[in-house]
Amino acid sequence: MGKNDQEVVRAVLAGDKDAFGTLVVRHSPRLFRVAFRITGNQADAEDVVQEAVLRGYRKLDGFEARADFGTWIYRIAVRCALDRLGRRERAMPSEKADPDRAPVTIVDASAGPDRLLLSGEIGAFQQMAMGSLTPTERTAFILRHMEDQTAEEIAAALGIAPNAAKQAVFRGVQKMRQRLAALRVSK
Amino acid sequence: MNHLSEEQLVEHYYLEGPDHADRAGHLAACPACASAFAALQQDLDAVEAIEAPACDEGYGEQVWNAVAGSLLPHKPVRASWLHIGWRRGLIYAGVCAMLVMGAFYAGRTWDHQKSSAIAGKPPAPTPQSNVILVVLGDHLDRSERLLIELKHAGDDADLAPPLRDEARKLLTSNEACRQNATQIGDPALAAALGRLETLLDDIANHPDSLSPSEITRLQDEKDIENLLFEVRVLRSRMPDQSIRPVAHSAGGTI
Repeated sequence: MGKNDQEVVRAVLAGDKDAFGTLVVRHSPRLFRVAFRITGNQADAEDVVQEAVLRGYRKLDGFEARADFGTWIYRIAVRCALDRLGRRERAMPSEKADPDRAPVTIVDASAGPDRLLLSGEIGAFQQMAMGSLTPTERTAFILRHMEDQTAEEIAAALGIAPNAAKQAVFRGVQKMRQRLAALRVSK
Repeated sequence: MNHLSEEQLVEHYYLEGPDHADRAGHLAACPACASAFAALQQDLDAVEAIEAPACDEGYGEQVWNAVAGSLLPHKPVRASWLHIGWRRGLIYAGVCAMLVMGAFYAGRTWDHQKSSAIAGKPPAPTPQSNVILVVLGDHLDRSERLLIELKHAGDDADLAPPLRDEARKLLTSNEACRQNATQIGDPALAAALGRLETLLDDIANHPDSLSPSEITRLQDEKDIENLLFEVRVLRSRMPDQSIRPVAHSAGGTI
């Protein structure tokens, strides 16, 4: 039986760099999943995971031993993904200007709503709706709706107050419903 | 009860909020809210979780191999502060703060008591103590001189009368000095003066004139050498040499 996370963290802090590999192997799949859900594409998600691992290693001396390493690195990954969303939005601001336009994370940018629906690409349809959300709203909504995180956990991951996290989730839900309703009508 | 807001309905959907049971009761009793909640439920139920592509079995290894080269080993930390945690750290900080405050308070109190004690302590050079010191100094000077004369008296019979006269004078002052030494709690001085007093008493109250043989007996019995040494030691203990009295000799001021 392998060492638990806290024992590995102690070993890493004692100078055993390679021990960190154990933690990376153990937690990377979960980090990839949440990163993919937030960023919406595999390449970004893989970058986010690597960035989170690097950040986690460098900040490891600030990690509280009694905390859960998995939760800690998960939150780092969420922040990395959120940062990436923000950078991406700043790089392509025109796509947010018109909420009726296709979102940034569409799988096939050439596909319109009719074609997406007809081809049964529900995921892409949903992502179109998510395109109308701000990075914080999108992240909060995904964490609440898909990752089953509480408002407090979302607040901790995003570094905001619990009330602000609740508001972000609520705005996300509102926009998703409006967008999905519009897509249903256009169908 | 008012209708539930959309925000409350969202909270209810995600089973959040402290009054979940109240809302459920309201939804059971209010068709409008129940309808709104059903619509919300339908919309959100339709939002499926985004399925991430399945990771390879070796995905974690790949990530590690990609980043391992850019990582430097952590420097071992000797102190265990890293493992203390912020709560215990706060406790330690609180204890330290209390210790510092306690030390500060104790220091202030001690300083105050010390200064009070210093303030309450009578200064050494009061006029009264100065008089005592002058008297004692004068007495010791004269006693030393007497002892020197007695030590070197030899066969000189002419020295006997002045020695006896001086001894009688010194006897009174010696008694006063000895009593004073006892009062101020200086047993060494009192004891030395007591031994000197025995000698002075012998000389002053000798029934006959001190013959050379008698002087020799005193020298032997009273250990003049030792008494002389003690008197010199006592003189050296005088606190302020500047107030030592002017020594008088038989012929005048030395």
